Amino acid sequence: MFSIEFGEDGNIRLSGRLDAAQCAQAEEFLAAVDGPSTLDFAQLEYISSAGLGILLKTQKRLVENGAGLKIINVNNHIHDVFRYSGFHSIFEIEAA
Amino acid sequence: MQKTFPRSFEALGDIYAFSESVMDAAGIDDGVRFPIHLATEELFTNMVKHCPDNDNDVLLEIDVADGGVAVTLTDFDVDEFDVTAERDVDTTMPLDGRVPGGLGLHLVQRMVDSLEYEYRDRQSTVRFTKESG
Repeated sequence: MFSIEFGEDGNIRLSGRLDAAQCAQAEEFLAAVDGPSTLDFAQLEYISSAGLGILLKTQKRLVENGAGLKIINVNNHIHDVFRYSGFHSIFEIEAA
Repeated sequence: MQKTFPRSFEALGDIYAFSESVMDAAGIDDGVRFPIHLATEELFTNMVKHCPDNDNDVLLEIDVADGGVAVTLTDFDVDEFDVTAERDVDTTMPLDGRVPGGLGLHLVQRMVDSLEYEYRDRQSTVRFTKESG
């Protein structure tokens, strides 16, 4: 189960498991995002390389337009995935 | 425990449920479960992407012992693809030089404790383990 939506605070809340079968939903949502944005991973349990690809694609588009993604409330497992991928150097990331 | 799954990304939910049920029954720690789920997905989707026209299901076998987990994926009637070969991935590259893709096997190689590949009679067998602690 995966969901992505705007929270009341304006942050983008992801929850559940972002695997390769769920990437189309995430990609469609993030393609409509414009300007600086914060992704709240508090309820995101899991991400695979397919999800990383969507985040990278979104970040490249936003940075080219002078914006970018901030990712907050990252659990330890997903933080490991970011570290092994080198994503900690291309995103602003806050641990849970 | 073993089970076959259709060669489709849509099978990932059922693969997760099967893997989780085996590990939950054995009381496997969350620190082992996450890399098991990730490596299983990356290796399975790799099989799907590299042989999309193959009609054979993929066999998934999960064994638990002493808090650790061993997973074997078997793909039938396929070309050789050694998942243990070192990937040319530069994780220090800045954003403007990055392109999506290519991280899956890199992550697997760093997040599991062992990774073995065997190719015989057009059958690919991948086995990986993650120990407790």
